[in-house]
Amino acid sequence: MSETVIILMLGVSTFLGALGLLSLIWGVKTGQFDDQSKFIDAARYDNQEDLKDAILMDRKKEERKKRKEKESNYRPPD
Amino acid sequence: MANIKCTHCNLEFGEDVMIKDQDDNQQQLYFCCKGCQGVYHLLQDEGLNSFYDKLGDNNLEPVTYIDRELEKFDLEGFEKKYVKNIDDDLKQIHLIIEGIHCSACVWLNEKVLHKQDGIIEASINYTNNKAKIVWDSDEIKLSKIIETIRAIGYNAYPYDPSLQEEKANSAKKDYYSRILVGVFGSMNIMWIAIAQYAGYFTGMEQKFKDILNVAEFLLATPVLFYSGWIFFKGAYFGFKNKIVNMDTLVVSGAILAYLYSIYAMVTQSGETYFESVVMIITFVLVGKYLEVLSKKQAVDTLDGIMGSTPTEVLKIEDEIKSLVSVETIKVNDIIEVRPGEKIVIDGTIIYGEASFDESSLTGENEPIYKKQDDNILSGSICLNSAVRYRATRDVSTSLLSSIVSLLEESIAKKPKIEQLANQISGYFSSIILLIAVITFAVWFGFISDFEEALIVGISVIVIACPCALGLATPMSTLVGIGLSAKRGLLFKEAGHLETMAKTTLLALDKTGTITEGKPCVVNSNFKNGFDPSLLYSFVSLSKHPISVSIASHIKNQYTKELSLENFKSIEAKGLKGNFYTENLLGGNVEFMIENGVNIDIKRDINSDNSIFIYAINKKVMVIYELQDKIRDGAVEAIQNIKDLGIKVVMLTGDNEKSAVRVAKEVGIDEVHSKLLPQDKAFKIDEFHKNGDIVVMAGDGINDTIALASSDIAIAMGSGADISIEVSDVILMNDKPKNLYEAFLISRRTYRGIKENLGFSILYNMITVPMAVMGFVTPLIAALSMSLSSLIVVANSMRIKNIKFKDSDE
Repeated sequence: MSETVIILMLGVSTFLGALGLLSLIWGVKTGQFDDQSKFIDAARYDNQEDLKDAILMDRKKEERKKRKEKESNYRPPD
Repeated sequence: MANIKCTHCNLEFGEDVMIKDQDDNQQQLYFCCKGCQGVYHLLQDEGLNSFYDKLGDNNLEPVTYIDRELEKFDLEGFEKKYVKNIDDDLKQIHLIIEGIHCSACVWLNEKVLHKQDGIIEASINYTNNKAKIVWDSDEIKLSKIIETIRAIGYNAYPYDPSLQEEKANSAKKDYYSRILVGVFGSMNIMWIAIAQYAGYFTGMEQKFKDILNVAEFLLATPVLFYSGWIFFKGAYFGFKNKIVNMDTLVVSGAILAYLYSIYAMVTQSGETYFESVVMIITFVLVGKYLEVLSKKQAVDTLDGIMGSTPTEVLKIEDEIKSLVSVETIKVNDIIEVRPGEKIVIDGTIIYGEASFDESSLTGENEPIYKKQDDNILSGSICLNSAVRYRATRDVSTSLLSSIVSLLEESIAKKPKIEQLANQISGYFSSIILLIAVITFAVWFGFISDFEEALIVGISVIVIACPCALGLATPMSTLVGIGLSAKRGLLFKEAGHLETMAKTTLLALDKTGTITEGKPCVVNSNFKNGFDPSLLYSFVSLSKHPISVSIASHIKNQYTKELSLENFKSIEAKGLKGNFYTENLLGGNVEFMIENGVNIDIKRDINSDNSIFIYAINKKVMVIYELQDKIRDGAVEAIQNIKDLGIKVVMLTGDNEKSAVRVAKEVGIDEVHSKLLPQDKAFKIDEFHKNGDIVVMAGDGINDTIALASSDIAIAMGSGADISIEVSDVILMNDKPKNLYEAFLISRRTYRGIKENLGFSILYNMITVPMAVMGFVTPLIAALSMSLSSLIVVANSMRIKNIKFKDSDE
């Protein structure tokens, strides 16, 4: 057995593990596990409708942003 | 008669009382009330009928519309208090939504809010019914949002999230991330360490050793500095305040071992201790986390009280009514309250008479009848008719405000009994550090070179590893908490078990704690045969506690609902009504005499209990005696607690006579009666001055200040939200027996803690001298450390074997 094999083994497995750890911590920090019941229900009620809902909310946010931009760019005619 | 489910709320009612309706497909629908019908059609129109699929068999509360006080949500004062501006027009509020029963309710609320124009974000937490809503104030007003929620049969009130709860949550999350890193690091490092131990015995080439060392170093570094950051901080604060604490020992041990291991790795000499570093940090961090796991979230329901109180009152000036902010009310202003409103300003009635619910002040559920010249107190609720009164105080000195500020004060200055482990760890840490320094000096001066002296010195600190000491308390309390949870006792914080074990005095509230808190029929004296259905229909028209308890008493005999005419409820006296030609009367003795009913007082009534007489056409049908019953097992529980050597006293807002009666029955010698909420707290302070450690058990809003100022507060699970919130222990099923068990479990747990601490000190007395003499190899260190932690865990498990007196298992 050569050193490279061990280095590779240790390196790759630790790296993959670290990726998993980081994404888990990201989930904790962004509050994705805050609501246990909803977290579980999300799996039960997962459907297209919710997706549409999320899109609707995103669109609303975007529209508002656009409108705001328009308003701020608006200059009264001289 | 067959009962039918309401199409909206799923509650069952008789067919004849249901509102019948048909949907577009000619399918028959039934509704229990107009409210449910309205919401059903609203949901149909909005295309949200999949709500009912999600709802399944869950029940909802029948819909009641609340259209009062909508305007208050747009007032400036309200906005200043609860609404946060995030962007120029974007606003954010946190709401608690009432009436959520299941996930379908959450779904519906979110859905409806999402559909509403101008709402940018709406998310509801199912676990605690709290919602965060972000909206564009150009497009929609807050009152409209609240109206939307109310339109589908829920209610919402605001709370201020910047308080304790958010802080506690983020602290928990922080610990959680740190533990994740710690656990990840220690699990992986142990695999590598096993390879190293194997190599230590069978021989391993230096180049492989190097690879393993570097891998361990990479894993140990984030654990030490990220997960261990909390200890660095603790040690720094300790250093600044010149205190040697547990953190000092953990940090010095971990950092010295870490530095030495780097030295060993770089110079390729000796063994590394990276795995010890990681294990110490992770173990002690887990112990610490167990302690913060359920920090109390006390203050945020203060908003629950304040949020539901009106911010405006109806002021009368020269016969002109105007809605003004409560802050502007001065003494001697005239105020009108309407039925159902909460009083915010103390005063004296000048016109009208009504019943007031003072349960939040005295704990007694029976409404109190007040007429002209009687004082009314803020915090009580006007029940049945409009009353005008003259303010005798302004809002800031009124009882309600002073209760809230007193409560805040008591929570802030809550006494903290120092825990045994903390007391010991200070001394322990100083001694170990001192021994390590002396060892190093002696080895360096007399026995060997610098390097070996350093290794021996470090090994003293590492072997004195605080793992066992750090786990001693949390492991025991965790087992204790788990055990009590199984028996319906919720301890909110681990440390409370230890404090409770040291208690010397138990203060009990009467109504709702020792007693059931509502009148129960204890005796019935039938004079003539009568139709129970008629009586049931009669009393169920009134919400008075006595009527309610009689209704529940005869519920089994009732067969059908009859409709009565001319129903009238006369305050503090009784009920009147007609059923065809029959003239129904129900009420107390005076009421009967007033109405010309012929009763023989001497023969029929000979007790102090409340009396309810039911008469048809002036003929007495039945006489009920009602009494607030003492809870099952209260007498035994109090006796058992006394046997533990704890003094038991009673604090109640009720009058002396009934207080003494109940006290005598359950065997309490010291009784303090007629106490207002703040008086109860003063009593607790008095007990403190006498050197007692006080446990207070109560259930109502009137107990909250006393609960907050006691060392340990116990609330009944059925009690008011606010009292549960400020409490440290909750009795889920309201059984007095559990009160006794709480003492038993906490004392056993405390014994477990003492045993664990004793053991870890014994362990150190054996291993530290070995380390001083230089006998500790890495293998011995690793083995003895794990062994000591295991023994602490095993000993803590023994707490589960506790035997309960008259246990029903």
